[in-house]
Amino acid sequence: MKSRAILTCLALFLGSVGFAQTTPPSELQPAAGPQLQSETKTAADAQKDSDKKDDSDHSRKIHFRLGTVSLAGGYLSGPFFYGPSWPYGFYPYSFAYSPFLFSPFYSPFYPGYLPNLAYGADKGEVRLKAPKNAEVFVDGAYAGTADHLKNMWLDSGAYDLSVSATGRSPFHQRIYVLSGKSLKIDARLGPQKEKSQTEEKP
Amino acid sequence: MKLRTLLTIGLMCAATVYADAPRGTVPRATAESYPAHTIANGVSIGAVLLTGDQARKAFASDVDRCCVVVEVALYPEKNSAVKVSLNDFVLRVTGTDVATKPSTAEVLAAKLQKQSSQSSSSGGHDVVLYPTAGVGYESGGYDPVTGQRRPGGVVTSGGVGVGIGGSQPQGPASTDRDRRTMELELSEKALPEGNASTPVSGYLYFALPSRKDKKTTRQLEYTLNGEKVVLQLP
Repeated sequence: MKSRAILTCLALFLGSVGFAQTTPPSELQPAAGPQLQSETKTAADAQKDSDKKDDSDHSRKIHFRLGTVSLAGGYLSGPFFYGPSWPYGFYPYSFAYSPFLFSPFYSPFYPGYLPNLAYGADKGEVRLKAPKNAEVFVDGAYAGTADHLKNMWLDSGAYDLSVSATGRSPFHQRIYVLSGKSLKIDARLGPQKEKSQTEEKP
Repeated sequence: MKLRTLLTIGLMCAATVYADAPRGTVPRATAESYPAHTIANGVSIGAVLLTGDQARKAFASDVDRCCVVVEVALYPEKNSAVKVSLNDFVLRVTGTDVATKPSTAEVLAAKLQKQSSQSSSSGGHDVVLYPTAGVGYESGGYDPVTGQRRPGGVVTSGGVGVGIGGSQPQGPASTDRDRRTMELELSEKALPEGNASTPVSGYLYFALPSRKDKKTTRQLEYTLNGEKVVLQLP
């Protein structure tokens, strides 16, 4: 019975994930450009052209997306008023009258209150690879040490990223963060330039 | 008078900000370091066509989705300057009339933003699924209706909430803020225009369809003081 229950849950979860992933891959391929053009188009013109395409291509498509998945567990030992549907099989309203500790409709974890599975949909991720104790600066401001900033979520924009550690030459890079995208930065700090100092000595 | 002073200060601030922004890329040591290079009117020119992978690594924007990227470097002679203008460059598919001038960062950013919003779920219907599952264990109890003792056991329940319509999720790099960021990136990495007395380099973006046939080659044409230079891009 136990294994049956677990299997049911697992099948339900996997089924919903699989269903969500049937979203048709949209037109990622760029449209072929015109054959010959002198670039006199403005941004507004480009916008107009693509608007026309929008109307024709996307009018009747259905997109499936997976929202929040809720899993719950509970235990009851005493008598109860309205028991769950067992042994009558699946009863869709059982949650509403469930005596379990968890009720998705009355809990702060109710799926309706959670946007979706994506974190920071309006932000971009910066994955930083740097020595653990290196200090990280974003636009000149101290952000923390690299071991705490392996993943940074920043608003869309351009930033000046600096990573420095004692005894190592600093790393500087201008980064461009776009929402919903991930940017990998491998900050390789070079060894301190001691050669030039010794060369200068008479 | 006050307005005039304010305008002057504003212009000075804008000029400072503009001057501070990095422009172009770091030129290689010599023009010969580039796969395609030549000398015209005392100016050494080097160019390289970026592959899709190289473009993806060099840019946060998906510039490879909309155009061909060429890195160009100009090395003027000592004590002389060269006037750099995007209008002087043309990319041509070798042996054909298919040619284009460089696109501006503004246009490309608008195109890329539109492509991103198209590739996400813009248009059509959006269906969101919210699956729920519950597992419980009851040790037993009395049914208040029948008064009979109910056996205990594992209780499971599940359900799927279906949401239709509503606000659609925004695709990556599809907001107005993203467009401004892409525009900034493309303009900052582009070949800087104006008079250059030291080596300059940067990217040029050409809105040509991506190369399907590997045998198709492209050539970069550069007109300098009326003289046309052709660089075959491998």
